[in-house]
Amino acid sequence: MVDQALLLLRVGVLVLLYLFVWRIARTAIRDVRGSSESMILSPGHGFDPQPAPVAPSKPATPGRLVVVASDILPIGAAVVLDQPEVLLGRDPHAAAVLDGDGFVSGRHAMVRLRGGSPTVSDLGSTNGTYVNGDRIAAETPLFEGDEVAVGSTRMIYEPGTTQ
Amino acid sequence: MPDRGFLRLPARNRELALIALALLIATTGFAAVQLARAQEFAASPLIAAAFFAGAYLIAHLVVRITLPDADPYVLPITAVLTALGLIEIYRIDATLARDQGLWIVLGLVLFVGVIVAFRDIRRLETLRYTCGAVAVGLLLATIVLGSEVNGARLWIRVAGLQIQPGEFAKILLVIFLAGYLRERREVLAAPARKVLGIGVPALRHSLPLLIIAGASLVLLVAMNDLGSSLLFYVIALAMLYIATGRLLFVGLGAGLFALGAAAALQITPRVQTRIDGWLQPWADEQAQCCYQITQSIYTIADGGVLGAGFGRGLILNSGGGTIIPYAETDFIYSVIANELGLVGATAVILLYLLLAWRGFRIATTADDGFSKLLAAGLATAVAFQVFVIVGGVIRLLPLTGLTLPFVSYGGSSVTANFAIAGLLLCISQRANRERA
Repeated sequence: MVDQALLLLRVGVLVLLYLFVWRIARTAIRDVRGSSESMILSPGHGFDPQPAPVAPSKPATPGRLVVVASDILPIGAAVVLDQPEVLLGRDPHAAAVLDGDGFVSGRHAMVRLRGGSPTVSDLGSTNGTYVNGDRIAAETPLFEGDEVAVGSTRMIYEPGTTQ
Repeated sequence: MPDRGFLRLPARNRELALIALALLIATTGFAAVQLARAQEFAASPLIAAAFFAGAYLIAHLVVRITLPDADPYVLPITAVLTALGLIEIYRIDATLARDQGLWIVLGLVLFVGVIVAFRDIRRLETLRYTCGAVAVGLLLATIVLGSEVNGARLWIRVAGLQIQPGEFAKILLVIFLAGYLRERREVLAAPARKVLGIGVPALRHSLPLLIIAGASLVLLVAMNDLGSSLLFYVIALAMLYIATGRLLFVGLGAGLFALGAAAALQITPRVQTRIDGWLQPWADEQAQCCYQITQSIYTIADGGVLGAGFGRGLILNSGGGTIIPYAETDFIYSVIANELGLVGATAVILLYLLLAWRGFRIATTADDGFSKLLAAGLATAVAFQVFVIVGGVIRLLPLTGLTLPFVSYGGSSVTANFAIAGLLLCISQRANRERA
C-alpha cells in the first residue's frame, strides 16, 4: 500500500515538474516566432516620423534637457527646446555649446520638435549620441525621463506642459 | 488547446497559476518524504507546504502591487527550485530543513525589500561605486576575518551565524560592473591602435581586464577557493564582452585564464588535489582527493532513469549522516539525481535553463545600457554557477565548492539568490511598462 502510494507520488512529482517546464517553455517558442516584437523598441526601428494625426497644441512651456552629469556644464543646467531645431555640439552657434569636451564633435546631434514631441539624431559625430545608454543610428523619439548622452554630458528629457 | 488560454492571462495571473503548480509539487514531495519515513500519512507535510505557500503568496501580492508588468516566470521558477531543495534537505535532516525554511522566508523578505527599494532600477545606477566599494570591502573582510571551513576561507562568523560574504559581493560586483561598463564602453570598444592587424584598445582602457584577472587570482590564493574566483572572473569577462561586443577581450581573457590556472597549480596544492580527483577518481577512492566525487557518481548512478523516489534513495549511512560529505550543500544535485533519477535531474537543468533564458530575455527587452548589462550579468552569474557545480558533481569539470542557486542549504546563498530574482523583476518592470 505504502509502496503504491509512493510510486504514485514519485510519478506525480515528475509529471508536475514537466508540466511546469512545458508551460514556461511554450512562451519561449512564442518569443522566437514573434521576435520582431523586441526590435520595435530599439532605437531607429519602427519609429514613424509622421506627426500625430491629432493637431498637437503648442506647449505652454517648452520641454527641457536637464544636465545630470557633465565634465563641462554645471549639473542642473538645462537646454530649453523652444526652437524647431536645437543643435548640440562644440560649434559656437549651437544652442547648447559643449566646448571643452574632447569627445564632442562640432555639430554633434540635433534635437527636433515633431508635432510637439522631440526626437534626437546624431549628425555623424565621431563618438556617437546615446539614448538610454544605446548609441543611436537613426532619428530617435524622446520620452519623459529618457537620457541623452553626448560626450561626457548626460541629460534627462523633461517634457513641457501643454495648454 | 487549454494552454492558449494560459498565455492570454494577464502576467500576474500567469505568475499566480505557476506558483500554485509549484506549491502542488512541494506538497507532493513533502508527502512522499514523510510517507517513506513514517510509513503513514501525517499532517506535518501539509503544515510545511502551507507555510511555504504563505511566504510565496505574500511575495506574489507585493509584486502584483509594486511591479504589475514585471516578468511572471522568475518567481515561480524560484518556487519550484526552493521546493525541490527544501524537500531533499528535509529528507536528509529535518532540523536542517527547518533552518532552510527560515532562510527561504528571509530570502523572500529580501526579495520584497529589493523590489520595493529599486522599483525604479535607475536608482541603483547612482549607487554603482558604493556597490563596488562594499563588494571589495566584503571580500577583504572575508580574507582578513574569515575562518577556514574544509580548507577554504569563505566564511565570517557574526553573532553565532556563519555568513558567506562572497555571495553578496558577487551581486554588488555585477551592479558596479554594469554601471562602470555602461559609462566606459565607448572607449573600451574603440581600438586605439592596430597590432598585427588587430585593433587593440589603449592600455589604460585594458587595465580593468588586467585588474579583474589579477584580483581573481589574488582571491583564489587568499580564499583558497577555486569556485568563487572562477565565478568572479567569468562574470566580469562576460559583462565586458556584452558591453563592448569585442571577441578580442574574450580571447585575451581566456589566455590570461590559462596563465592564471597554470600559476594556481603551482601555488595552491588544493587545486592540484581537485584536478587529481577529477582525472583519476578511482585511483584511490577513499583518499581525500576522490572520496566525495566517487560517492557522488555512485549516488547519481544508483538513481537510474526514474530515481528511487523521494525518501527512498540511499542517501544516509547507518549512522544517520549523509554518505556524500556536504550532501545538503555542494552535492544536493547528486541527491536529487538519486531520488528523482535522470528524468528529474534533467527537469532541474531545464528549470535553470528557463531562468537563464528569462534573465537574458529581460536583458534584450531592457532599453537602457545599465539595465541590459545588469540583467545579463546576473543571468550569467546564476547560469555559470549552476554549470560549475553541476559539472563538478557529475565529473565534467574539476569539483569546486559552489552552491546550487535556490536549492542548496545555506542562508547566504538562498537570500543572495532571492536578491538577484528581485533585481531581475525590477528591470523587467521598466522594460515592459515602456512597451505597453
